[in-house]
Amino acid sequence: MITVSVKWQKELFQAVEIDTSQPAYVFKCQLYDLTGVPPERQKIMVKGGLLKDDADWSTLGVKQGQKLMMMGTADEIIKAPEKGPVFMEDLPEEEQVVALGHSAGLFNLGNTCYMNSTVQCLHSVPELKSALIQYSHSGRSNEVDQTSHMLTIATRDLFNELDKSVKPVAPMQFWMVLRKKYPQFGQLHNGVFMQQDAEECWTQLLYTLSQSLSSTGSSENPDTMKALFGIELVSRVHCQESGEESSETESVYSLKCHISQEVNHLHEGLKHALKSELEKASPSLGRSAIYLKESRINGLPRYLTVQFVRFFWKRESNQKAKILRKVDYPLELDIYDLCSDDLRKKLEAPRKILRDEEGKKLGLKASEKSSGSKDNDVKMSDAEGSSNRSGEPSIATSEEGVPSDSGTQMTGIYDLVAVLTHKGRSADSGHYVAWVKQESGKWIEFDDDSPIAQREEDITKLSGGGDWHMAYICMYKARVLPK
Amino acid sequence: MAKEDNNDNNKNKNKKEEKKDEDLSEEDLALKQQLELYVERVQDVDPNLQKVALESMRQEIRTSTSSMTSVPKPLKFLRPHYGTLKAYYETMGDSELKKYLADVLSVLALTMSAEGERESLKYRLEGSGGDIGSWGHEYVRNLAGEISQEYAKRQSEEVPIEDLMELVQQIVAFHMKHNAEPEAVDLLMEVEDLDLLIEHVDSTNFRRTCLYLTSSARYLPGPDDMLVLDIAYMIYIKFEEYPNALQIALFLDNMQYVKQVFTSCDDQLRKKQFCYILARHGITFELDEEMAANDDDREALQDIINNTKLSEGYLTLARDIEVMEPKSPEDIYKAHLLDGRASAGATVDSARQNLAATFVNAFVNAGFGQDKLMTVPSDNSSAGSSANWLFKNKEHGKTSATASLGMILLWDVDSGLAQMDKYFHASDNHVNAGALLGVGIVNCGIKNDCDPALALLGEHTDKEDPSIRIGAVMGLGIAYAGTQNEQLRSKLAPILNDAKAPLDVISFAALSLGLIYVGSCNEEVAQAIIFALMDRSETELGEPLTRLLPLGLGLLYLGKQESVEATAEVSKTFNEKIRKYCDMTLLSCAYAGTGNVLKVQNLLGHCSQHLDKSETHQGPAVLGIAMVAMAEELGLEMAIRSLEHLLQYGEQNIRHAVPLALGLLCISNPKVNVMDTLSRLSHDTDSEVAMAAVISLGLIGAGTNNARIAGMLRNLSSYYYKDASLLFCVRIAQGLVHMGKGLLTLNPYHSERFLLSPTALAGIVIMLHACLDMKSVILGKYHYMLYFLVLAMQPRMLMTVDENNKPISVPVRVGQAVDVVGQAGRPKTITGFQTHTTPVLLAAGDRAELATEKYIPLSPILEGFVILKENPNYREEDH
Repeated sequence: MITVSVKWQKELFQAVEIDTSQPAYVFKCQLYDLTGVPPERQKIMVKGGLLKDDADWSTLGVKQGQKLMMMGTADEIIKAPEKGPVFMEDLPEEEQVVALGHSAGLFNLGNTCYMNSTVQCLHSVPELKSALIQYSHSGRSNEVDQTSHMLTIATRDLFNELDKSVKPVAPMQFWMVLRKKYPQFGQLHNGVFMQQDAEECWTQLLYTLSQSLSSTGSSENPDTMKALFGIELVSRVHCQESGEESSETESVYSLKCHISQEVNHLHEGLKHALKSELEKASPSLGRSAIYLKESRINGLPRYLTVQFVRFFWKRESNQKAKILRKVDYPLELDIYDLCSDDLRKKLEAPRKILRDEEGKKLGLKASEKSSGSKDNDVKMSDAEGSSNRSGEPSIATSEEGVPSDSGTQMTGIYDLVAVLTHKGRSADSGHYVAWVKQESGKWIEFDDDSPIAQREEDITKLSGGGDWHMAYICMYKARVLPK
Repeated sequence: MAKEDNNDNNKNKNKKEEKKDEDLSEEDLALKQQLELYVERVQDVDPNLQKVALESMRQEIRTSTSSMTSVPKPLKFLRPHYGTLKAYYETMGDSELKKYLADVLSVLALTMSAEGERESLKYRLEGSGGDIGSWGHEYVRNLAGEISQEYAKRQSEEVPIEDLMELVQQIVAFHMKHNAEPEAVDLLMEVEDLDLLIEHVDSTNFRRTCLYLTSSARYLPGPDDMLVLDIAYMIYIKFEEYPNALQIALFLDNMQYVKQVFTSCDDQLRKKQFCYILARHGITFELDEEMAANDDDREALQDIINNTKLSEGYLTLARDIEVMEPKSPEDIYKAHLLDGRASAGATVDSARQNLAATFVNAFVNAGFGQDKLMTVPSDNSSAGSSANWLFKNKEHGKTSATASLGMILLWDVDSGLAQMDKYFHASDNHVNAGALLGVGIVNCGIKNDCDPALALLGEHTDKEDPSIRIGAVMGLGIAYAGTQNEQLRSKLAPILNDAKAPLDVISFAALSLGLIYVGSCNEEVAQAIIFALMDRSETELGEPLTRLLPLGLGLLYLGKQESVEATAEVSKTFNEKIRKYCDMTLLSCAYAGTGNVLKVQNLLGHCSQHLDKSETHQGPAVLGIAMVAMAEELGLEMAIRSLEHLLQYGEQNIRHAVPLALGLLCISNPKVNVMDTLSRLSHDTDSEVAMAAVISLGLIGAGTNNARIAGMLRNLSSYYYKDASLLFCVRIAQGLVHMGKGLLTLNPYHSERFLLSPTALAGIVIMLHACLDMKSVILGKYHYMLYFLVLAMQPRMLMTVDENNKPISVPVRVGQAVDVVGQAGRPKTITGFQTHTTPVLLAAGDRAELATEKYIPLSPILEGFVILKENPNYREEDH
């Protein structure tokens, strides 16, 4: 019989007796009484080894008063949860996109940044995507020529691919078809493809899509593209000399923003562009005369496209020159005062509702603030953050399903969703980049194959006036109300 | 009276000369003429007259040489007559007078003697001897210079040197008395007779002498440096400055000396302080009865050496600084400071990011015993939340996650083992492997009589599952680094030559053996690793993991210089795929921490070659530059510059390694210029370079909480938010910067940058070698190699304790250390200091001194644990 001390965690059990004639298991049972650790979980260190259950004390050479160390707990054994977590790395690629929060970039195929940025901007229009999905191979009617059909298909496929991949996509097929349809994009200079005007690409692509999509035969939506992008203008043409006056309507896909000395803001540029002078034959005067044309918006699209007329043909130098002037544009655009009287009347009611809602929200925020004023700063900032963001999802939720005017009302207020910028001094050089707002409310800069997250305040800094990227085309999305 | 007459005569004679000397004052002119007269008289036939003239001349010279701003006037005026006197001297017969003249000539030679003639010495030896100092400092100094030249000449011609040595005796005695210890040491080094120094040091000058000896040792070629340190050691022992003596003993890695320190001191308290120094150095040392007679005392001392109280002290520091609150990885990432750009609100767990969070959590909460992921108290639901986090890691990630518990409970063996226990019983092999590794990490640097790590891990080294084997082998390596444990050798060595063992198990076994026998030059272990290397097949030799075998071999010779040569010869017979790699690794390990300039040049030479892609040996060569040059500040600065050049001219495989080398040079010491270089490289187009730079940013800021690096890394995290590999590296670096919430350091140098802890260096070097091939090791499934850093982790604190090892608070001044080598008097050793109360944190390059007279520290170097003794002469000041 010898006595030892046993150290277990931070405790020390003095004078534990060992009956050397019994196997070690008996000793372990003794310790079980002291510590509550079952014998099979006990690990007792004896001179560089563990004490075995059937060990013979005489061979171990344990001395009187020796300090032994025991390890072991009665803790529950670690078990793996039945359902392990799903790791992003294990997901198929299309699901990774969801986790990533934005779609893929596009490889530059040789000065194709104009095309890439255009595609990225248009890709951000969900209604266009769904319209394209409905477009089928077979649905080609005779009105649409073969190349337009192919371009539409290529666009659809490219959009699909962008949604599914995480890695950058090479828009080979699309590019080939685009060149086929519009040979001017295939211009070569010194053996390489030339830089092209993104606006031209944008316009042509929209034109083709409107052609093919309007003729798909889908009955409910005869003219998807018009509903989405078409702006109806009503113009009063007035000749001061003769006093003749006539009115005409037209539909355009984008508003122009003229840039002159006095234009500092998008709104001024738009107003400017809606007034024009033209010379035409006056039937009453029998000669050509100056007519003043004043246009007003009569029909609003879901997506308002604004083009900054930055490029012009400079006759002296025989090249397309660029206006670098800084023209600010807002994140929220109200075009009420550009609308015709008829449209204004229609807009008034929804606008009032919208204003009331906003007022309510502000009121709510104020009350929240007063109630939460005793709380600490962290909570305050949280509350502010959430209320700041809360404005956006409300629109997101309001538009669902097919784009139609039937279910919603226009308010004349638009939110910026995409900016196509140009960097460089002339139209035929430089670099085009698309800045697109994601459904999550985050902005992504699509610089060809690399999407980069950006902050909202940086988006408004693309207004020109330097050598940084400057907005060329802006796309606004309508803020609508359910009827 | 006759003198004056003569003066008049001279005046008349030398009217022409007078014109020349117009700018001389009356006084000077008089002196000049007088001296000229003496010269004339010396050549007189009358010996009495000669003697008078010589005496007077001596007098003139002596009175003026005491001040030395320009050439003294008498010497200046005697210059033209040097030749005459010399010629006359030769004609003289042996006599007292001749010796007198020799003395004068010896002094005159100070300014006149042609270069290399050593006439001053020649005449001194022929002269009358006498007090050497009477001729002034400058004379002695000049003489010393000539002696060293003469000595070298005579050595080569094998001419006796007794007369020289006698002179040396005089000069040394003079220097030592007049605060010119460096000159004395220099002279003795030149004449290779440092032993003389011991006779001449006294209690007033031995400190300065030893300081000069120890710091000059860094710049001496071997074996002179060892000799110099030997002398310093003996002087310290002679004056009973045992802590300093102990440090030199540790620097020399001479256990005999360490023992001598213990046996020559019989104060238990001071011995305790020795034990704290030994514990910080991280060596294994067994006290015997000779060193501490009393059993209880010995046990108390051994406990300190075994580091059992390290955890307690560290936690005291943490409580004092109020950083006990556990931190989560999110607290470190500070994503809210990166509005907008932060990664998408992850709805899905990313295994890579969770693994990064595991490491960040482990590094940040290292040693605190609590965190927010692993040790959260389990609630009543089926499995604790710790298990939840554990299983948020994938496969081998679970190994690192379980092992991270060991890091969190670092040094706290008792509760550490208790908390690890439940993981031993899990059914998942990866978890079991992690538990084994974790036990090893908990025991890092702590020795325990019961050897719990050996008992628990020992039986797992031969298990079937390779991951369990690696866990056990690596755990043993970390727990027993530097112990040279025979039992472990017999356990691990067979794995090396086991034909059935997988390559990774063999590699880790080699590393662990290298760690356990670090710097031991153990033949048998070396043989085992060499055989294992020879057994590798051609394809295996191409594997990145095979490269750990030469590293294991190299660690055996860490800092052992020439001892490596035999093994290096053997390595020349290896397969050419690994030969050069092995060569570089051995060379860099053997000369690590020596500052040997020749080896740095050798390694630079290897880096200057432009090779084809398949060659891999330049990586370790670049690391080797850092390992060798990190020894002292000057070499370190030069190495940083050389590495910048490599960056510009080197091939890709060199550029990959340069950031890591910079990281090693400035580990836990964020120098601004290196920080900028690494920041630039962290955006390099080559992702391997960028990854290495990011990790190195973490290394140079390790445990500093450096705000600038933290900001850089935060921006990098948003810059690389979609590059999973780089983001992983950024996260690791963030964890390193906030390591131990800023209480830890990775610097293997301690005790005012004098001592190099071999295990700490080994840990860092292994981790860096693993980073050489980031993609297949750290980003692959061997990420737990990052845990080798634990070997270098030490609290960067000053903790003052009383006789009973209880912490006491005293005011201390902490400031930038000043180099006081070779300065006379008692210069200030710190600058720009602030006064704090202990325990206090010390940054790189900081030095502390006690700001109170009430206590006397038992160690002159205030780092780590320092025992304070009450000052018996202290009297509270009355107000």
